[in-house]
Amino acid sequence: MSGKVLTITSGKGGVGKSTSSANIALGLALSGKKVVTIDLDIGLRNLDMILGLENRIVYDVVNIVEKVCKLNQALIKDKRTDNMFLIAAAQTRDKSAVSAQQITNLTNDLKKDFDYIILDSPAGIESGFKNAMTPADEVIIITTPEISAVRDADRVIGILEANTKKDVSLIINRINPRLVKKGDMMSKDDVLQVLSIPLIGVVPEDDNIVSYTNIGEPSILHKESDSGLAYKNIVKRILGEDISFMEITEEKKGFLQSIINFFKE
Amino acid sequence: MEKVAIKGKNFLGFELEINIDKIDEIKKELELVLASSSHFLQNTLLTLKLNETNKILSNDILKFLKDKNIYINAVVVADKKGCNADIPVIETKNMHLLAEKQDKQIATYRGNVRNGQTIRADGDLVITGNVNSNSYIYATGNIFVLGKLNGIPHAGYGGNNDAIIFAFALNPPQIRIGDFITRSPEEGVSLRNIKGVLPEVAYINDNNIMINTYEEWLRLKD
Repeated sequence: MSGKVLTITSGKGGVGKSTSSANIALGLALSGKKVVTIDLDIGLRNLDMILGLENRIVYDVVNIVEKVCKLNQALIKDKRTDNMFLIAAAQTRDKSAVSAQQITNLTNDLKKDFDYIILDSPAGIESGFKNAMTPADEVIIITTPEISAVRDADRVIGILEANTKKDVSLIINRINPRLVKKGDMMSKDDVLQVLSIPLIGVVPEDDNIVSYTNIGEPSILHKESDSGLAYKNIVKRILGEDISFMEITEEKKGFLQSIINFFKE
Repeated sequence: MEKVAIKGKNFLGFELEINIDKIDEIKKELELVLASSSHFLQNTLLTLKLNETNKILSNDILKFLKDKNIYINAVVVADKKGCNADIPVIETKNMHLLAEKQDKQIATYRGNVRNGQTIRADGDLVITGNVNSNSYIYATGNIFVLGKLNGIPHAGYGGNNDAIIFAFALNPPQIRIGDFITRSPEEGVSLRNIKGVLPEVAYINDNNIMINTYEEWLRLKD
């Protein structure tokens, strides 16, 4: 087996890299692929919490590269599916604890046993970003429809275009149809005009994400969740299916809700 | 007028202009200029511009500069008579003729210029894509952006105040042409403003950077 390394990055922090990594990893695993997710945000880990695997961490990625433990010992099996494993980030160290070469060696080892290796990149364009980029076969850029996030994404794309020839695709996260309609938020097309890279998914704003994160259950596990549906479509596109993009429109409101909103605004 | 000035006006590169007449004072002023920019001057094409009274000192000045590892390509004066420099002497009135004979260089950049990137070109620069925010583009000649310009352009880099900037949507936070700089109006840029796709031209008129639509600019030019 020769797996694919998928790096998820953004430039700006807080746009949903870890949430997207968790959802995509679980989605691929639930589609029958063998997946391992590596949290490279060393020192500020939270992918383990989003996946609800916090209490199972014994060894982490720094322990592997420093040969404190065997690779298998640091693979944390997911509690919902047998197909997904997590390698957690060390919390007591920082980004300089590993090198790009060490991460590349690690992913090369993992490629033998897994279909997809998902790297959750830290924010920024410093060493942690380079660690996550060097081994990547494909890069997914996450942005929100805010000018600051789009500009940072543009910077990251520029760095990737200048230095490598990797496949880059885009996820626009937290789009709010009501604000787009009012003209207060960039639309999908506005973002694409600036970034001009292939789009792989649009995820609507979802108030439930906060509680899903708190309980460690990514939205892809929730059937009724709009963002979960968007991530399911993204997973299908990663697997090569041709799925049309979800029309993200304003949610339908009852008469009473319209009146309440009228007074709110 | 500055006693000694570095300008970038002609096609032969940068011009070192001397406006004082006493050799001792010239040397003193040159020392000051060299203190801050000797590295730059050692690595660039330079001409020396002299006026009617100091042109007889040309060889003294050239020797002084040569001792500092700065080499001059040509001396520019209004009238050749009385200037006996060892290197080519060009009269000011012939500079334009020479410049026109020179084949114009055009550099082309395909694709988007992204945040954090810098493009430099000698001569005219054509960019077939968008120039995104927080990027910088420099050209010694004109700049043509066949897309949206949101980064910072500097046309006529080095002092060519005749350069223009053309873009399908001119929206940079600053515009720099030759020796001039201007910034965008302070009013908040709303999302709708970004969407305009009218071709526009920035140019210098009466020591001010002006922005006009392409059509209006063509009309004014004639």
